[in-house]
Amino acid sequence: MLELTDLTKKYGDITALDGVSLKVRKGEKVALLGPNGAGKTTLLSIALGLLSPGSGTARLLGRPPREAMTAGRVGVLLQDAGLPEDVKVGDLVAAVAGMYPGNALLDLGDLAERRVMALSGGQRQLVRFALAIAGDPELLILDEPTVGLDVDAQRALWRQVRDRTVVFATHYLAEADDHADRVVLLSGGRVVADGPVEEIKALVGGTEVRVTLDVMDVPGLRALPGVQDVVVDGSTATLRTGDSDATLRAMFAAFDEVRNVRTAGVDLESAFVSLTGKGA
Amino acid sequence: MRSFLLFEVRRGMSSPVNLVFLAGFPVLLYLLWTKVLDLASGPVSMVSMATYGAMGGALFIGGAIAMERASGWLRQLAVTPLPAHGYIVSKVVAGMLAVLPSVVIVLAAGALLGGVRLPVGTWLVLPLLIWVGVVPFAALGVAFGYALKGQSANIATMVVFFLLAVLGGLWLPVSRMPGWFRVVAEYSPAYQSGSLGWRALDGLPPTGTSALVLAGWTALFVLLGVWRYRRAMWR
Repeated sequence: MLELTDLTKKYGDITALDGVSLKVRKGEKVALLGPNGAGKTTLLSIALGLLSPGSGTARLLGRPPREAMTAGRVGVLLQDAGLPEDVKVGDLVAAVAGMYPGNALLDLGDLAERRVMALSGGQRQLVRFALAIAGDPELLILDEPTVGLDVDAQRALWRQVRDRTVVFATHYLAEADDHADRVVLLSGGRVVADGPVEEIKALVGGTEVRVTLDVMDVPGLRALPGVQDVVVDGSTATLRTGDSDATLRAMFAAFDEVRNVRTAGVDLESAFVSLTGKGA
Repeated sequence: MRSFLLFEVRRGMSSPVNLVFLAGFPVLLYLLWTKVLDLASGPVSMVSMATYGAMGGALFIGGAIAMERASGWLRQLAVTPLPAHGYIVSKVVAGMLAVLPSVVIVLAAGALLGGVRLPVGTWLVLPLLIWVGVVPFAALGVAFGYALKGQSANIATMVVFFLLAVLGGLWLPVSRMPGWFRVVAEYSPAYQSGSLGWRALDGLPPTGTSALVLAGWTALFVLLGVWRYRRAMWR
């Protein structure tokens, strides 16, 4: 459905994509996960033919991206898409739906009679999604689809996604967990991991335990149950663990001088730092 | 593409901004010139103001394009089946159609409020002549729409609109201008657009010069538009 080969893109001195290859097969639900600036939007823009790659090739449904668009089998939600302000939502959706051979109309309720200029940010996002799905596409490509959506709207969105091949960009691990069966982890313009959700969760999920220790014993900390990674900064050690209860219990038994214990869910940015050894 | 064209036509026809800007304002100016200030003859001023409004409508097709380029709506359209030319064709066709009712309104104001009396044939042919006369401005507007983005295109268009209208004698007749100015004015696109209608008032067909000058400007503006369009698309 989607095939990217060795994509590279530079903006001046900044490398946005650095040799990315990705193949998505029919029926897959792929989350493109990464912190801001990881290259998600650049990757999607090239896949959609909106941006030319520095090198490498992009194919959609076995053709150049623009041709696949013209055939009307791809639905797209862009992060930065503007909408005409002076028109009614229903007219807008109908106009776009009319460009496609098939149609799937999202129930927008009384939003259909409103003008775009009167909509809130979340309502606009829902309209963008309605446009993406209007042509009943085989392949959906969504860039940060749930930004600004309330819970009901999110539910309506994922319900529509269910029976289609979908590639969506997100920076929420939970969203990837709930709605994807495969996660492609992007950081610094490279694919740093690609696999089933469970595998990626083990890599970037977990809890962060931060402690102060006067006598640092890194091998000892690393040997604690559940610990995946230890980062030391002066007398502070940061442990990433898949089982914080076990880690803490063992740590209190082994190190009686630990102080200042704090725990927090791992956020994606720091998970990336530990995965790639550098900032995203 | 057809659904998008119909959407744009409906959008253009139902826009209250168009109505005020393309018809309301010219009607007010017409009444000001002829009834309040008594500066111009009724029929000539009526034709001038109808041409002025139509010219604005044609030029601001580009303003709308520039706004939609800036807002990211064109990015969204680029990921639909709408072909690249489908957008620009729809914009120009819908924009030019939206000009017609405004021309009719200004002429109706001339007949009903200004007491202009003309043969039936002239009333029928006038809107068409004025409409055809402003075609070059649609091309110029498109060039602006792809050369500039967002509000800056509207401001630039507004300035050019005003200058060309004054130069073309749509505000004050060219005959009141100094000699050297008049020579330049008579080769300007707005003067030749206006002259189609002015001559029709006397029952005269357009001159060969009018046709040539308008065709020349149209060709030039189309080239300019195509150049800017290509530049904008390859970015």
